[in-house]
Amino acid sequence: MDCAAVHGWLCKQGLTLEYVTYGTCVGMAEFTIIASTWTRRQIFFFVVVWLYSSIAPAAEVQVTVIDRDGAPVPGVAVYIESTGAGALPAPATGVVMDQVDTRFVPHLLVVQVGTEVEFPNSDIVAHHVYSFSNPNDFMLPLYKGDAHAPVTFDEAGVVTLGCNIHDNMLGYILVVDSNIFGKTGQDGQLTLEASPRGESNVKIWSPRIKDKGEVLTRSLTGASNRTVVFKLSEKLRPPHDSASGAIQWSDY
Amino acid sequence: MVRLLISAVTVSFSLAWGPAGAETPERHRFVFGADISYIDTSGLPSWTDGSVGKLRFDDDSDGLVLNRAFVDYQGLITDTINANVVLEIYDDDLGSAIDLTEAFLEWRPVPRSPNRYRVKVGAFYPRISLENTDAGWGSPYTLNSSAINTWVAEELRTFGAEFSVSRRPQSLGGTHQFGLQAAVFWANDPAGSLLAWKGWSAHDRQSRFGDELPLPPLPQIQPGMMFENQDPYVAPFREIDGKSGYYVSGDWRIGSRFLIRAMHYDNRADPTVLEDGQYGWTTQFDHIGAQFSLPAGFGIIGQWMRGSTVMGSVINGAHAVDVEYESMFLLLTKALDKHRFSLRYDNFEVTQNDATPEDNNPENGHVWTASYRFGWSEKVSFAAEWLSIKTHHCGWIYYGISPTATEEQLQLTVMLRFSN
Repeated sequence: MDCAAVHGWLCKQGLTLEYVTYGTCVGMAEFTIIASTWTRRQIFFFVVVWLYSSIAPAAEVQVTVIDRDGAPVPGVAVYIESTGAGALPAPATGVVMDQVDTRFVPHLLVVQVGTEVEFPNSDIVAHHVYSFSNPNDFMLPLYKGDAHAPVTFDEAGVVTLGCNIHDNMLGYILVVDSNIFGKTGQDGQLTLEASPRGESNVKIWSPRIKDKGEVLTRSLTGASNRTVVFKLSEKLRPPHDSASGAIQWSDY
Repeated sequence: MVRLLISAVTVSFSLAWGPAGAETPERHRFVFGADISYIDTSGLPSWTDGSVGKLRFDDDSDGLVLNRAFVDYQGLITDTINANVVLEIYDDDLGSAIDLTEAFLEWRPVPRSPNRYRVKVGAFYPRISLENTDAGWGSPYTLNSSAINTWVAEELRTFGAEFSVSRRPQSLGGTHQFGLQAAVFWANDPAGSLLAWKGWSAHDRQSRFGDELPLPPLPQIQPGMMFENQDPYVAPFREIDGKSGYYVSGDWRIGSRFLIRAMHYDNRADPTVLEDGQYGWTTQFDHIGAQFSLPAGFGIIGQWMRGSTVMGSVINGAHAVDVEYESMFLLLTKALDKHRFSLRYDNFEVTQNDATPEDNNPENGHVWTASYRFGWSEKVSFAAEWLSIKTHHCGWIYYGISPTATEEQLQLTVMLRFSN
C-alpha cells in the first residue's frame, strides 16, 4: 500500500486529508484531518493507517535528471546523504559487478560504504580486473568464474574499473555514505524512499556529467518540495558503449 | 597443395579437439585458420612469379587454391607478460612452407595511475593497419588488403621494441583515450625495394621472416647494369647497415565509435650499403588512419600514407633510386546479423625524383574491392570478393607489357577457424 492508496482508502472512509507537502505523501504526523463526525470504526481505521505509516517508508523523494536540452538522462547515480542519521544499517550482501562480453555489468554500480562486491567473470576469456582509484585501489589477477574473494570498499568515492587484458573495458563503482541510493531509469527519474533526519542532501553522479559542484547537490532539509529536478547545464559526455559496433578495435 | 591441406586439417583437428578435450590450459590460446578459395583472375602475370601483376594469383593458378593456413598463439607467461607467435603457411615458392610473421613478448604492467604502460619486444607489425584486426592479422572486412596494408604485409615488420603509454583522462569521463608510442628497431633495411621497383599491390599475402620476394626483371639489376649485385628478389627483413630505425605514433579514441592514429616512420637505413645481394633503402613515411562506427552496423575506415624511399649514391643531386609514394583508401562496411558487406576504394601513386637511365618507377592507379562475408558459425565463414585494379606504369614497357592495364579477380573463399 503506497501513499496514494492510503489516501484513496482514507477518502473512502469519509476522511479528508491534505498533504502538507505538495504532491507527495510525507507521513501521518503531517496530515490535517477534517472530519465532522468520527465513528469508532473510522477512528480504528485511522489508527491502523497511522501504524502503517509509522513502519512504512515515511517519505519519498522523486528525482529527475535532465540534460541542458531537457532530455532525460538515464543511468545517473542518485543518493541521499544525511547527517545525524546515526549509524547506517549493515550494507547489502550479494552485490555483484559482473563481466559479460568484455564489459562490466552494470557499467555503474552504486554501493554503501563497507559493501563487499563480488567480481565474477562470466566471459569465456580471462580478465584481469584492477582499479587505481585511491584509496579503493585493488587488483584481481587473471581469472575466470568466481576465482577471487569479494572486494570490500571501505571509503566513499568513485572506483574506476579496468581490465589489464582488454583496455576498452571500463566500469565504475560509486561508494556512498548512504543506504538510500539508486540510478535513474530511461525516463531520467528515480523515486527514493527516504526518511532523512538532520541535514539531508540528495546528490547525483555519472561519468557522463560534466557539471561540477553545487549543481549536483540539493538540500532536502526543511524543503517543502520533495520533487527534485536536476537540470544540467553542460553538454553530456557520450556514453561509453563497448557494444559490438560495426568496427572492432585493433589492439596490436 | 594436397599435402598442405592434409597437414592443415590434421593440425586443426589436433588443436581443436586434441588438447581441448583434455584439460585446456586457459593461459594458452591457439587460433588455427585456413582459407581455401576458388579464384578466377584476368590481367597480368603475378608479381609472385617475378612479373608485374599486382595480384597474388594469375591465370596459372585459377581454380582451387589454399590461400593460407595459420596458427596464431597467445600465451600468458605471467599475469602481465604474454607471448605472441604467428605462423603462416603458404603453398608457393617465396619461402619455406611454414614460417613466422610475428613473434614478440608484451609486458602489460597493472596500471597504478591513469597512465597505462606497455612494452613490446620482438618482431611485430607496426601500428598502421585498421583493417587487420582478426587472428593471424586477418581482416573482418575483405579478403585482400588495401594497397597500404598490402605493402605493410609485404615489406614492414618491426624487429625491436615498442614503448606505449595511454591514458583515459578522468576529467573527460573515461570516454576519450589518448596513446603515444615510440619504437626502435633493427633489420627491415631493404623495406621500400618492392614499393619502388614493383609498385603498390593488393593481395592477402603476408611476408614471413625468411621470405624472398621476387622482383620484376628490372633492366637495372641485370648483369653489367648499375645494380647488378642486387639479387632478383627482396629479403625485406634483413639487417644491412647496423643502424636502428624508429617510429613514433599517437592515437585518440572516443569510446568504441571513433579512432584516429598517426605515425612517422623512418628505418634510417644507409642507402649505399649492399650486403648479400640486398641494398639498404632509406624509407620514411607519414601515416594517418581513422575509423568511425556509425549506427545500424555501418562503419567507415580510411587510411592515408605518403613517404619516400631512396637507394644508391647521390648522382646529380638525387640518389640513384629516389621515389615518393602516396596511397589512400576508404572502406565502407555494413554488418547485418551474420552478414557483412564491404566496399573499398584505393588510390595509389609512385613518383620519381631520380633521372637514372632505365629506372622507370612512376605509376598510378586505383582499386575497387567489393566483398561479402557470411559468418555461418564461429568456425566456418564464407566470402565472395570481386576486385579490380587499374594501373598506369610506364616501366612495364621494358617487359613488353602495355603500360595501362586492368586486372580483375573473383574469389570465393571458405574460411575455417578453430580455437581452444
